[in-house]
Amino acid sequence: MAGILILNGSPRAPRSNSRRYAELFAKASPVPTETVNITRTNHGELCAKAARYHDVLLVFPLYADGIPVSLLNFLKSWQDRLPPKKPRISVLINCGFYEPEQNDVAVAMIEQFCRRTGCTLGAVLKIGSGEAILDTPFVFLVRRRIRALAAAVTAGRPRVLQVTMPIPKRLFVAASAVYWENYGRRSGISKRQMQSMDIEPQPPVT
Amino acid sequence: MKLILSDHPLPLPDLGPEVRFVDLSALRIAPCTGCFGCWTRTPGRCVIRDDATAVYPLIARSEAVFYISRLCYGGYDTPMKTMLERAIPVQQAFIRLLHGETHHVQRSVAMKQATILGYGDISPAEQEIFRRLVGRNAANMNFAGYRVLFAREADLEQTVQREVTAWLAS
Ligand SMILES: Cc1cc2nc3c(=O)[nH]c(=O)nc-3n(C[C@H](O)[C@H](O)[C@H](O)COP(=O)(O)O)c2cc1C
Repeated sequence: MAGILILNGSPRAPRSNSRRYAELFAKASPVPTETVNITRTNHGELCAKAARYHDVLLVFPLYADGIPVSLLNFLKSWQDRLPPKKPRISVLINCGFYEPEQNDVAVAMIEQFCRRTGCTLGAVLKIGSGEAILDTPFVFLVRRRIRALAAAVTAGRPRVLQVTMPIPKRLFVAASAVYWENYGRRSGISKRQMQSMDIEPQPPVT
Repeated sequence: MKLILSDHPLPLPDLGPEVRFVDLSALRIAPCTGCFGCWTRTPGRCVIRDDATAVYPLIARSEAVFYISRLCYGGYDTPMKTMLERAIPVQQAFIRLLHGETHHVQRSVAMKQATILGYGDISPAEQEIFRRLVGRNAANMNFAGYRVLFAREADLEQTVQREVTAWLAS
């Protein structure tokens, strides 16, 4: 089918940054798109839907240096239910840290999925500082890169793009402290409390 | 202390009092929902009160860890990856520079030597991805040093016996 199926692989898909990135992509895409969240229970339905598309875009966050379990489990289901004509899979990944390159290993895992299954890896966009960048003046840079991603996916060009905040890392560290301090404040938690060094009371040693 | 974290039960040599063995397949651990409660609402505590809350404190205080996991697409398969995602309460939300790269500030987490054994039907490309992954983990999980090992499933028990015996003596 002409068009692009966008799958949101964030564990918090309905409230995720991935949702906002997917929306920007849908807006920028010259061809029609359909967006669906991956849940724990809809793998069968998604595999059937994906079989009707030549282009699938996976939008997801970096989790513990890799792909989140929510997406990993879907890929394991999808692997066995791919149609004979394999899709082209593009990637829009975002991570909390500054460096877009921190996403490289997760992208390599998607590439490995493609190698294992005979799918083609399409275009890739890696976003650094992805937790916060959408609510900064630098959102225009994200929009620009997402437009380039949409053009590459539509043209079937395997481009690798990346974006982050164009500020020195030390400034990013300071700005992220303010971001998280405000996040805690909304739940009535102070910066000092968030800086606690304590981890759960230790379980009794048996 | 030392910790062996495995995604399935294993026959192991006598471990002694300073070593804990955790078999993830015997535990009930739900996936992280990405709520950031462990950073911003109940710092250091996951809001999901299942068995993971007994494991991440063990990870934090171990000076040596031995992880045993099936691999999938060059990364940890679901049980180990689920646990590692649930371990982020050991970090703060706040970010620091480490070797010139941004990473989270750790809470009371011991620096550790890590031995990571990936098993299964692993291609050379997957081995390469997994080595890179563990290299990334090192910065985020306080590894002072690490070793990456691979085993075929058929050789796993033998490899674990040999490597764990050497690891206990180290
Ligand atoms: C369990 C967990 C693990 C994470 N691991 C990483 C990581 O290894 N590197 C990183 O840069 N960001 C990491 N993050 C941050 C997310 O990638 C970041 O907040 C992202 O914007 C979330 O996207 P989403 O809202 O689409 O889920 C992690 C977040 C969670 C909850």
